[in-house]
Amino acid sequence: MSILAAALIGLLVYGLAKQGTSRALDAAVRAGQRPRAPEITRALPVLVGIDRRTAALERWRGQVVVINFWASWCPTCGAEAGLLERAEHYLNARHEGTVLGVTYKDITSYSLSWLRQHGLTFPNVRDIDGSFAEGYGTAQLPETFVLDRRLRVVAISRGELTSESWLVHAMNAAAQA
Amino acid sequence: MRRLALIAALTAVLAPASATAATQRTTMAKVLPYFMCVTCDIPLANAQSPQAEKERAYIQQLINAGDTFAQIKTALIAQYGEHVLALPPASGFDIAVYAVPIAVVAALASLLVILLPRWRRRGPPGSADADPVLASADAVRLEAELARYDS
Repeated sequence: MSILAAALIGLLVYGLAKQGTSRALDAAVRAGQRPRAPEITRALPVLVGIDRRTAALERWRGQVVVINFWASWCPTCGAEAGLLERAEHYLNARHEGTVLGVTYKDITSYSLSWLRQHGLTFPNVRDIDGSFAEGYGTAQLPETFVLDRRLRVVAISRGELTSESWLVHAMNAAAQA
Repeated sequence: MRRLALIAALTAVLAPASATAATQRTTMAKVLPYFMCVTCDIPLANAQSPQAEKERAYIQQLINAGDTFAQIKTALIAQYGEHVLALPPASGFDIAVYAVPIAVVAALASLLVILLPRWRRRGPPGSADADPVLASADAVRLEAELARYDS
């Protein structure tokens, strides 16, 4: 009986622990470190902008990558769309990298329609069940991660991007690695 | 020849029925209980989040297009993964949903099998087995008094 009780308590603790979002990346970046980006080899279905069915972060090794988690149902994601598109042009003009949109638990047709509506041109992949985002501690949208050429996290923005200078500064720091 | 005729007759009777089942249109009320809001982890029917609104709109779109329940289920899994199902598949950590209740019932049944015979052997309170044994002096006195009543 006691074994059963212990098993049930263990199950409960595991379930609760699984629900929490990790802030390990934030702590490391705050401490001045550049932690390795999670899920580098995970192949995600391509939504648009990549000439393959799936793509993994590994593909952009050697470039600066600005990962942006978003969804068509996210009310604040549209507000930062223009800033992200400018970031894409900024990186392209310097041949330094790309913005990579990652849709979070979103319907494909709605995502595509949203991209057209906001005139976004950067590549996008789909995180169907949110498990890729989970690695980044992402549970709310939008969130943005700037990765350096070695695919290490340089800067994190949890919530809507409001400062273009913050993003430019982060991209420049990432490019210098 | 008769067998062929029988097969042909059965096919004629059953084919329209199975075709109807395969193409049977469904309704929002029938579909909703089987799915979850994937961002809020509560049944889709009760969810009020922006994502749930989109999810319901998508289901309505599929219903309007004439999709069956099975087609809607397949489409939702393709969009959100199996977490969209109200009853998760029996694999990985989700297997606990099915295994824990079975384990609890099995443990309780085992306990009953062990404890019931003991309770039976013990018998009800106040039964002969439970009577206190008299001290020898009291027993002698009791016998003497009973003998006096008998005489």
